[in-house]
Amino acid sequence: MREQHSSPPVIVIGAGIVGAATASFLALAGTPVRLLDASTPASGATGAADGAVSVASKRPGPMMTMARAGAALYRELAEEGLFQGLFHRRPTFLVATSDAEADVLSDHSEALAEVGAPVLWLTRDMAADRLAPLSRKTVAVLEVEDEGHAIGYSIVSRLISAAGLKVERNSPVAALEYDGRSGRVSGVRVGEAVIEASAVVVAAGGGAGGLIGLPDVSRPRRGQQLVTERAPTLNAALPGSLLSCSYLLSKKQGGDADQRGYGVVIDPLETGQFLIGSTREEGRNIPENDIDAVAHLAASAGDMVPALGRLRILRCFAGIRTAICDGLPMVGRMPGVDNLFVAAGFEGDGICLGPLTGRIVADLVRGEEPEIDVSPFDPGRFAGRSIAA
Amino acid sequence: MREADIIVVGGGPAGVSAAIEAAKSGLSVMLCEQRPALGGAIHRQPAEGATPVAVLPSLRGRWQALSAELSASGVDVRTRRAFVGVDSTGAVLIEDRAAGKVEVRRPRALILSCGAVERVRPRRGWHLPGVAAAGGLQVMLKEGRVPGGRILLAGSGPLLLALAAQMTAAGNPPVAVIEEGDPASRPLAGVRLLAHPSILPDMAALMMPVLFRRVVWRRGTRLTEITQSGDMLTACLIAPNGREERIEVDRIGLHDGLRPNDFGLPANDAAAGLVILRAGDVREVLGAHAAEADGAEAGREAAARLAGCPPRSGANGIRRLRSLQTSLSRLFAPVHGAPILDDCPGDTVICRCENRTISHLKAQLSGPDTVSARELRLNGRFGMGACQGRFCSEWTLSLMSELRPTASPSSIAEMGACRWPLRPVALSSLAKGGTNADTLTEPHMEEISA
Amino acid sequence: MTAVRTFFWRGSEVPFRAGESIAAALAGSNIHGFGKDPAGSPTRYFCGIGACQSCLVRVDGRATEACLEPVYDGMVVMALEDDDA
Repeated sequence: MREQHSSPPVIVIGAGIVGAATASFLALAGTPVRLLDASTPASGATGAADGAVSVASKRPGPMMTMARAGAALYRELAEEGLFQGLFHRRPTFLVATSDAEADVLSDHSEALAEVGAPVLWLTRDMAADRLAPLSRKTVAVLEVEDEGHAIGYSIVSRLISAAGLKVERNSPVAALEYDGRSGRVSGVRVGEAVIEASAVVVAAGGGAGGLIGLPDVSRPRRGQQLVTERAPTLNAALPGSLLSCSYLLSKKQGGDADQRGYGVVIDPLETGQFLIGSTREEGRNIPENDIDAVAHLAASAGDMVPALGRLRILRCFAGIRTAICDGLPMVGRMPGVDNLFVAAGFEGDGICLGPLTGRIVADLVRGEEPEIDVSPFDPGRFAGRSIAA
Repeated sequence: MREADIIVVGGGPAGVSAAIEAAKSGLSVMLCEQRPALGGAIHRQPAEGATPVAVLPSLRGRWQALSAELSASGVDVRTRRAFVGVDSTGAVLIEDRAAGKVEVRRPRALILSCGAVERVRPRRGWHLPGVAAAGGLQVMLKEGRVPGGRILLAGSGPLLLALAAQMTAAGNPPVAVIEEGDPASRPLAGVRLLAHPSILPDMAALMMPVLFRRVVWRRGTRLTEITQSGDMLTACLIAPNGREERIEVDRIGLHDGLRPNDFGLPANDAAAGLVILRAGDVREVLGAHAAEADGAEAGREAAARLAGCPPRSGANGIRRLRSLQTSLSRLFAPVHGAPILDDCPGDTVICRCENRTISHLKAQLSGPDTVSARELRLNGRFGMGACQGRFCSEWTLSLMSELRPTASPSSIAEMGACRWPLRPVALSSLAKGGTNADTLTEPHMEEISA
Repeated sequence: MTAVRTFFWRGSEVPFRAGESIAAALAGSNIHGFGKDPAGSPTRYFCGIGACQSCLVRVDGRATEACLEPVYDGMVVMALEDDDA
């Protein structure tokens, strides 16, 4: 399709993993695009994520199905070269330390099997063999294959450079501009200036709702995490991420401000370090750490893998997830505006679903059929709640 | 035991003075020091059986006086306690390094007197064993271990001469002091020093070994690289006339000045309800005398603020000491201006903890996209290691500025690494923190002896 | 005359003075290199004030700054590269 020089570019708002992927796939397909960010790439949740590319941690339903495709895309792009060196295939291990947890795990195992995820049940003895550093309190482990790990800001950096994009940093979009007659989006306002657009993709995480007239559908949910120093020997003894069953429970409940929603994940990183997460703090939107949360995460991690106790923590940080009120992200065309798209509200699943969503939205923008049906994530489901544009 | 009203971090002259002064108000004061003994850097104490090192004339007797006052003051002194930071709720976190436990404290005021840290500009080979910071060699000498063998001191600043004088007095003068500055070529700055007569005996003491030709003092000369040759180190020097020469030594001490050891420290208004003050070199590098005065002022300020009084005007005497410091800086400023990192070999290490070089940094900035300092840290891994950028951030940003002269310089805060913990803490130590843990288990020291 | 106090560095006995740091005691025996860290950088004494993290060694399985850690009789100190299992 011949691009007209007079046609303004597609504007993507937000250089997190979803926006960077969308802009990158658009650019690689020859569509002129401008990528704007209120700050710098991956300065939101993407830059403070644990990096899980995981089906194992998803709730059954459209999220789990989407996650299977998301993980498959990572494998495909790693092989092709785009994500070479950045995506690391490895299993996820869900750890039960009581009979009650083992029951929850068993149900989850069935749900995973239903979407075709390769699972393997490990008894206590099998787990002791496979994961020697794991605590002896372990009752059962579910090993899930075809999972992996990718660092959010590294993926973003690769997406940007692979497409030769030049991100417009420190360019917060105050509002969308509409053409009065057609009702279509005509551009975006940054400060006093209006930038013209042929289409707009709002991939602005927590800021998306405000831009599309749905300020109340999303809420922040903080996740505090820790990073250890390098420990190559211990790292090599753990072939994948460890998730406590309480992680599954915390995702289900969300956790109110008092409960903190702790769900421990221990991620071995490529450097030989470990990432330990995380809290789920409803309504908390400042990325800072408190000693209670950090102590709790440290204690839980030490319970699961005692050898972690002697490792030094180099850094505590926090990321702010964006959760949509019904538990599903918003992905798709805004109702009644045929050139406005949104892709936001991925809560803790952004890394896994980011590149896939980017490819889907790029296809939607270009008027092509997306590879997956994203109608479960239709932003139009909130039509009754929207403020007139 | 109830919580202390005031916690002072750092047991050097500033912290000790602050604690003494604050205690005079009747408030309870706890002094935390990371090492097993007080003194800081300037008053580092000798280990058992080591010969004490002669201090500069202007400091004679100062530590003894301070220690005596501290003993009589009622301050609760805790050693092997490292400051971990202030968390988001305003809790002051102190690691008890002996017990392996983070204590969660809630004083009403926090005085930070963490002193100065050396600036050491990267040169090829600076990361090799046998290369240390000159101030590092100096504190070890004070502990009782004189650097042995052939030692070369290089960089700029009066600390190099001070160390040379101390090493000479201890029986092993350095092979040479390679000074990038040339004080002899700056007579005006030298004359200005006369306005501060108290420093003259110190200057004389520094110059003695040079004047008596026991130490070679090469001025306007730069050490450009260090290579390993067997067990020895070879230093490459550039003389004022541009001539290159090599010298083989056992160890090298580098020093390019001092700056406040304030990386990641909470700002004074960081936590509502907690008074945070800085005192001594960590607030402004002005030397040991200013540190005592500054510490005392901070102690008084903290007590006044806790009593509900408005902030004091303070800063008495600091202006004179500041002008002294400025004169000294001018006197010892490198002759050829700030050396350009861009000219250094690509394999020069910038971030030692992660083994990242100048070439790695240039590669990060080579694309069409204008990356931020934060992206440089995350993607290039500069400052992502154990020191969290405490040492390398200045040079990372400096090189970034050289490569992008038209862009406005980034700040250390923009890199995004300034968070607690301020230093690595064992996971098991952190696990014992938190309000559900028993945080005030240590009996007061006076109670032990009862 | 009191007996010489010693500790163990990578299996060898090294004398020390009461109150001094691991780094000072090692320097006293002319030991200046502490092996490589997991990132491949040589570890050694540098700043002396616990700021640079260059002097890391391992005590009781835990990495610690040699310039801050006081030696005690019989202390077992290893290099980072010796073992971290």
